[in-house]
This record gives sequence, C-alpha cells and structure tokens, in this order.
Amino acid sequence: MSTGKIVAGFLAPHPPHLVYGENPPQNEPRSRGGWEPLRWAYERARQSIEEMKPDVLLVHSPHWITQQGHHFLGVPRLSGRSVDPIFPNLFRYDFDLEVDVELAEACAAEGHELGLYTKMMRNPDFRVDYGTITTLHMVRPQWDIPVVGISSNNSPYYLTLDEGLEEMDRLGKATAKAIEKSGRRAVLLASNTLCHHHFHEEPAIPEDMSKEHPQNYEGYLWDVRIIEMLRAGRTRDVFDILPQFINEAFAEVKSGGFTWMFAAMGYPEIPGELHGYGTVIGTGNAVMEWDLEKSASI
Amino acid sequence: MTVVSAFIIPASPLPMVHGSNPPWGAFAEAMDEAGRRLAETDPDVILIYSTAWYAVLDQLWQMRAHVKGVHVDENWHEYGNMPFDMHIHQPYTAACIEATAKINIRSRAVDYDAFPIDTGTIGANHFLNKEHKYKLAITSNNLYHDGRLTGQLARVAAKQADQIGLRVAVVGIGGLSGSFFRHEINIADDRIENPIEDNCNKEFLTLIEQNDGPVLLSGIEGYVPAARADMGMKHLYFVLGAMADDYQKAEVLHYGPLYGAGGAVISFVP
Repeated sequence: MSTGKIVAGFLAPHPPHLVYGENPPQNEPRSRGGWEPLRWAYERARQSIEEMKPDVLLVHSPHWITQQGHHFLGVPRLSGRSVDPIFPNLFRYDFDLEVDVELAEACAAEGHELGLYTKMMRNPDFRVDYGTITTLHMVRPQWDIPVVGISSNNSPYYLTLDEGLEEMDRLGKATAKAIEKSGRRAVLLASNTLCHHHFHEEPAIPEDMSKEHPQNYEGYLWDVRIIEMLRAGRTRDVFDILPQFINEAFAEVKSGGFTWMFAAMGYPEIPGELHGYGTVIGTGNAVMEWDLEKSASI
Repeated sequence: MTVVSAFIIPASPLPMVHGSNPPWGAFAEAMDEAGRRLAETDPDVILIYSTAWYAVLDQLWQMRAHVKGVHVDENWHEYGNMPFDMHIHQPYTAACIEATAKINIRSRAVDYDAFPIDTGTIGANHFLNKEHKYKLAITSNNLYHDGRLTGQLARVAAKQADQIGLRVAVVGIGGLSGSFFRHEINIADDRIENPIEDNCNKEFLTLIEQNDGPVLLSGIEGYVPAARADMGMKHLYFVLGAMADDYQKAEVLHYGPLYGAGGAVISFVP
C-alpha cells in the first residue's frame, strides 16, 4: 500500500445555523437563509475538497464529549436523526454516514501506543452529535466520502489547559501515524469556533441578520489577531499565545480540535487561506484551509 | 402540602446500564428504594431538574406529550442502550414556563421528535417511575445560572404546583465529588478517586442528614470547591428551593463511586 498523507486541514466550525440557513433536504426546519458570508466561505472550502479528492475526512468534534478516553466512531454505517439540544428549533437533521472503521481503529491503536486511553464506539444506535454532522455537511454535503469521527475528551477542562492540549497534541501525532500507514489521502477538520462569547437570547427570527454581530469587541479583536497570524503562517506564534486567547476570548479551540489538527500536520509554518469569517449568535467563526499538498509543491 | 417527597440521584448511566457491577448495582438498589418511597407519597407529577441536560439559551422545559426512544450514552456506549418512555404533564409545564418570567428567567418549551433526552433524566424515569405511572415535568440546567437562581427556579415551579393543586415529587439529578478515573480500571474495584474528596462527601452527607436547610445552604459553598462538586451542586439547590429550603428529614440511601466520582441517592421528607 502506498504511503498515506494528510492532504489538508480545515478550521471548520459547526454552528447549526449554517445548515439551517442552507435548507438542505436532510434538515427539517426551514429558513429564509442567513449567515451567507460563512456559507459562501464553506462553498469555497467545498470546492477545494472536491479538487483534493480525499479518501477520508477526519473530524474532531467538541460536541461529542467523553470523560474516559478519546473515542472513535467504529460502526461502518451510522444513520438516524440528530437534534441539537441547544438549538432544536434550527437543527433536526437526518444523517447517514459511512465510517472508515479501519482507519479509526488504526488511530485508536496509535493513540494507545502514545499513552492515550482510546476507545472505539461500536454501538449501532449511537446518535452522532450535531458538531460532527454540521462540519461534515458544510464541507461535503454529498456525504460520499467516508469519515472518521473523534470525540473531544474533556482533558483541557478537567486537567490544566497545558496538560489537556498536550493530550490533543499526542492524539494528532497518533492520527498522522495512522494515516501514513493507511495509504489514505486524508483531510482533517477541526470543528471549532474562535471567540465563543455568545448572546443569551435568540432573535425572534433566528436568521434576521440585522441582529447578528460580534458579542463583544475584545473577542472580535482577538479573532482578527489570530486569523492574521494564521494567514501569515505564524503557527508557532499562534500556539504561543493560544492559552491567553482561550482564556480571554473563551475560545472553543480549548476543546482540542485545533491542536489535534495542527499536531497531525506537524505545525506547518505555511499561510492559511481564509475562506471567510462571520459571527453566529455573536461567536466568531473562521473557515480556513491549510493545503499541505499545494504548499509542498511550491 | 405541594412538595410531597424529594430526592437526589446521580446523573451517571452506570447503575442503569451496568447494574450487575456491584458498586453500581448498589446505586440501582438505592434508586429502587427511592422509587418505592416516591410511590408512597402518591404524587401527581414528578418534577425533574437534571444537571445533565445543558441549556445555554433560555430555560428549556420538555413539552412533548409522549417522549419515547432509545438513548446511547456518549461515554458508556459499550454497555448498551437506554430505552425510555415518558409522559409529560403539559399543563403544569406550561404554567412553569409562564411563571419563570417573574424571576427574569426566560423559559422555552421543547417539543421535537428525537430531541436528545439526557442520560440523567432517563435514569430517573427508569428507577423512580418504573411503571410509567406518573407524568413528568422536566427542566434543564442552564449553564449560566448559579445555585441561588436555580433554587429560585424551583420555588417558582413548586408554587405553580400549589396553585394548580398538584402533589409534586421533586428530583434533582447530579453527583457529588467530581474527580474521576481517566484510565481503564477494574470496575468491580471502583472507589472514590480522591480520598480528600471522599472525606468531603461524607462530611457533606452528614450535614444533609442534620435536617437544617439554612445550615446546609451555607455549607454548600465550602463543599463545592473542596470536592470539585458536580455542577456546583445545582441539583441540590433545586431540591432545597422546591422545599423552600426546609425539610423534616433527609436520609442517604447510598453513597459510593461512579468511576471514581462521588454519587449519592438521598431521600428527603419535606
């Protein structure tokens, strides 16, 4: 088998509002649109992924929270209805996805080798979380590429932040090893919002964009600062200030997906391509791409 | 009397999905006993506050008349499914939703097919309402509410029951100490992960059994950081609030470990 590789990584946040705004047939609620700049950003990401022709999409979701270990979807096909417990009025999605169980098992095994407690999720009645589904839908609504779904172990919240993110670093390195041995062309998806301060009440019309703006200015400034650094390829600098960003902007990258993805990619000092930025109920969301294959060919 | 009985039970699925493991089976037996005591008080409705149902926008209340399905726990999926079948007391729930505005809490009804019912609520219904005899009013844990506000929420809910003329059994769902094992253990040898927290739990349970609501309320603030207590013990604030911070008797039916974290089944006589 040829050597596998990580083709690209995407920062691919998961506000269910984006699915709601798009009105795909899988989602029961209907909208009059909304959050267009972010949905247009995802259109660009979709096009990139179409051109990359990956064999598998790996997603680390902060809404599959596990306390004992890092879990991986381990059932070949999972289907059902996933309702967002926070925004059930917006997201009631009929999912049907194919899991790359072989690669998931390999990731779990490599994680175990690196000292992590890993576990396969083998229950066929498991309801896939809305974070996983939203991110996957937004990058590939055709659902024709197998996926590896990874839980967010709560270590960054339970342990110190440094200890928790160190685990995510190891998880990323384990993921990279597994991909390399698998022969797959893989795309990584970090399903994270940036600044996570949000409004506490929803507008009467959720998609009324006249009500949408950053929840607070400091958080917005943080987002811009981080995005500018990522666009400049200053990855090391970003990770140096990541704890401060997390603490001051309540950034969702704390849950680990962002660190997992960059660790797997080897923390490349290459410019990230910003497809778009926008707020959802006040939180900051950037859709960004790191095309490792293109970068290597330059 | 409006509130006729009250209980604290853990949110963990382990007693329901793996009660054959002795440390967790002891919880199952204690919750069976709690169910018997609940039945003796002949309630019209069970009012449930579950710390495992997270809300960040508004105060959510389950409003679907009949909620039925199968749940798989996010963490303990290997132990099998958690079937559930619940009937909601809609008039009472509607009254609670309308009334919380008086304490500046915006409530909202949830009425959707396949809405994810939380593990704690499913366990409560399984053990305390085995024959589906009682209708439920179920509300969420708004993560931005503190214990005091949660207590006020419960007072408002109890008052609505009084106005309608309902006898209510109140159930607060959540654990005690929060440190747990992060690695694989021999589950038959489960124990409280942190001995200091174990002592805190025991002292706190003794305080609960001293039957002095105001003293207990003041004790929560010290206990929570010392034991890394589950969700700031908002489930206890809720139960106390529903009883107007006063009760005749509390009895700990069981205390033990749930993969290292502390849990207890407590029965209150209002």
